[in-house]
Amino acid sequence: MTLDLVLRIALIVGAFLLLPLIVGQTEHKVMAHMQARLGPMYAGRFHGWAQLIADGVKFMQKEDVVPAAADRRVFTLAPAVALVPYLVVLVVIPVGPGLVGRDLDAGLFFVLAVMGVGVLGAVMAGWSSGNKYSVLGGMRAAAQLTSYELPLVLAASSVAMAAGTLSLPGIVSAWQWWWLPWQAIGMVVFFIAGLAELRRPPFDMPIAESELIMGPFTEYTGIRFALFMLSEYAGIVVLSALTTVLFLGGWHGPLLPGVVWTLVKIFILAFIVIWVRVSYPRLREDQLQRLAWAWLVPLALLQLALTGVVKVAFL
Amino acid sequence: MANVTENREQVVGIGAGAKELATEDMVLNIGPQHPSTHGVLRLRLTLDGERISQAEPIVGYMHRGAEKLFEVRDYRQIIVLANRHDWLSAFANELGVVLAVERMLGMEVPIRAVWTRTLLAELNRILNHLMFLGSYPLEVGAITPIFYAFRERETLQAVMEEISGGRMHYMFNRVGGLKEELPQGWLDRVADAVHQVRTRLPNLENLIHGNEIFRARTRGVGILTPEAIMQYGVSGPIARASGVDFDLRRDEPYLAYGELPVKVVTRQEGDCLARFECLLDQVKVSLDLADLCVDRMRGLPQGPVNQRLPKVLKVPEGHTYAWTENPLGINGYYLVSRGEKTPWRLKLRSASYNNIQALKEMLPGQLVADMIAILGSMFFVVGDIDK
Amino acid sequence: MDCMPRKSENAGMAPTDLPMPSMGPLSRVAPKPMRFILNWGRRYSLWVFNFGLACCAIEFIATSMSRHDFIRFGVIPFANGPRQADLMVVSGTVSDKMAPAVRRLYEQMPEPKYVISFGACSNSGGPYWDSYCVTKGVDQIVPVDVYVPGCPPRPEALLNGIIRLQEKIAAESLPERYTWARSHSPSGETLLRPPLNPPEAPV
Repeated sequence: MTLDLVLRIALIVGAFLLLPLIVGQTEHKVMAHMQARLGPMYAGRFHGWAQLIADGVKFMQKEDVVPAAADRRVFTLAPAVALVPYLVVLVVIPVGPGLVGRDLDAGLFFVLAVMGVGVLGAVMAGWSSGNKYSVLGGMRAAAQLTSYELPLVLAASSVAMAAGTLSLPGIVSAWQWWWLPWQAIGMVVFFIAGLAELRRPPFDMPIAESELIMGPFTEYTGIRFALFMLSEYAGIVVLSALTTVLFLGGWHGPLLPGVVWTLVKIFILAFIVIWVRVSYPRLREDQLQRLAWAWLVPLALLQLALTGVVKVAFL
Repeated sequence: MANVTENREQVVGIGAGAKELATEDMVLNIGPQHPSTHGVLRLRLTLDGERISQAEPIVGYMHRGAEKLFEVRDYRQIIVLANRHDWLSAFANELGVVLAVERMLGMEVPIRAVWTRTLLAELNRILNHLMFLGSYPLEVGAITPIFYAFRERETLQAVMEEISGGRMHYMFNRVGGLKEELPQGWLDRVADAVHQVRTRLPNLENLIHGNEIFRARTRGVGILTPEAIMQYGVSGPIARASGVDFDLRRDEPYLAYGELPVKVVTRQEGDCLARFECLLDQVKVSLDLADLCVDRMRGLPQGPVNQRLPKVLKVPEGHTYAWTENPLGINGYYLVSRGEKTPWRLKLRSASYNNIQALKEMLPGQLVADMIAILGSMFFVVGDIDK
Repeated sequence: MDCMPRKSENAGMAPTDLPMPSMGPLSRVAPKPMRFILNWGRRYSLWVFNFGLACCAIEFIATSMSRHDFIRFGVIPFANGPRQADLMVVSGTVSDKMAPAVRRLYEQMPEPKYVISFGACSNSGGPYWDSYCVTKGVDQIVPVDVYVPGCPPRPEALLNGIIRLQEKIAAESLPERYTWARSHSPSGETLLRPPLNPPEAPV
């Protein structure tokens, strides 16, 4: 029993360290090829596969600068606050039948609550850096969090309603193929809101390199900055995994084993996240708020109503 | 200030409700080194939340004293410095200098040189505009268009490099003509490059111009009125985007523009999108002009492309003002000579310097995010501001 | 990113004894065989901060574009601020007004950091060698690792400069680098020295 638990935790930590790196390297390569480039080619000889490992080795050697004007304790704590929630979320995400770190009864509730904490990291970083650009970035991140949490939760609760359970493995088990059209609106809303919460383009106003340098992360150096980068890509993995589990039926799929199906779906979604980054300009903060309140929230409510009607009338 | 406070309530998000709370203005320095100022322009903004209440462009970080250096260079050497102040329109810059000197000398330029200069000036205009067509989307967050823009730039730079040896600073103008004869078959390669750029330009256009987010970010943002344009002496595509229909190529033709049907691109809106569209359409117009030049040059009889110059080139006493329609606006040289081999004074009127002054009028009341969009759409080159 | 030094800091530019830069824990305890891996990491992960000042900045951008693409070498242009950067490419004319900002941004970069001086202007003043307001060479204010000549240099020249820098990184040892940098970095006195008088103009 304990051996089983240790094994599961080790696997999850391994996946947590490996998957974001794969997504990061994919982003390098996908972006490059979409832009008629090659991307990293030399690190690790074969098509630059070790680029992110080199990045990691380098970041470990960098000088650790804490600005004099910074609020030291908050500043040093922020990267951990940004990163750890995603690790915790991975614990309850099922990848195959019975393959889950911990099957919580209120898994969905737990996941959404913990993911919100991750954004706090950016707010803390923005506040504590003692830098005006960071403050602006932190404020934007906070504004984004408050407006996007609502559509995210509404869209997710629609699935919970359909499945009649909050447990993530329970939702996947209850999933049928016709849920795809049934929950389509919810899926789109969930994915867009998730992108906004991760601060990925086109919702990357908090980071907005042409406006705010690096937003909340402007003053971060070395390993701390690397942790923020890792948390960004871990966020992509978590978002893709959650969308897979909630809306795309997780391990359901013909021929291939369940775990493979989950991973394939996760990577297709991660690819879409990257694709969007390459193709879209950045929204403005107030346009983003309008999108959230004028489009996503009503759409999510519509989905909720639709779910309810179908559930009562046909099932 | 009054209308700023009124506007504020419309914005959902940051700054909303700021009226009730006691807030403090924040002074934010954009630059001198900032990703959005492509170069070293510095802006001192006073922010209320994210809304700009005051903006002051601080110039001079790139001041290299070119005008003073002109006075200790002879007329051949001046061209080196002249094409460096606006590094994206090098050919047009050298053109102004040689036009001024030729006018003072009363020198007739061979017809082939005139047409070649016209062609190169148009190619240079395309190169310049492509740079901004790529970098402007980058500023509003779209990272890919610049790769397309640079692919076209490389295509054109190849022919420019073949003729002059330089990728950016051509140094191909000489007083009295051009540096040397055109390479054999060069015209075909120009026509080919122009054709390639024309066929691939829609890729760039489709990628960004029709994008909803791009339109939402730029339409109605940073409107510049024709009055402000007149007051600040704004020129070039920025002025034409506000409906100021003025183009030296048509209104006071120099080189061979008198014989070419120059279509002046204008827009009435005067916002960021209009400025971007102006640039895009100007590229198309310039591609057509380049084709016309090539056709015309094929029919020209053989002959010299330059004049023999004396060992020591002295310009007779007097003064003149030569202006050209540079890619970014009007570029003028006021040349005063006392009969020496160096000018007594060579005043440079550069386009960006005037264009950028209008920022003070445009920025207050805007959000920081819009500031980036406006700054990018003002199409300036810092060297052209600071000289 | 407020680049201009405040008055009080300007006054404090007199030579002060700075402590050795504090490094990440790994490089301090690293045994010799580790050095290869550490150098390899720094070599292929050069996050570059483009100090785009003038014409050369355009060629720098051209180098990052599809045809030349220095990301192949692991030169990642995603560092928008100095804090995340390992490599600063000074591309263009450094004017006397800009020089304090260059110095300041260099100091904001975390160690170990590298500088490429890109183009004639930042190497030596270039065509502005006799200007009254141009710093004749960025090496007067920051230590430079690789100089790339040209006005502006071709993108291939920058690629060559980057490869040279990578060779240099592969062969170096960090402690030696710091001892060298300490003894060769310009003191406060040099920085406050008035600019050189230009030689007499040709008549």
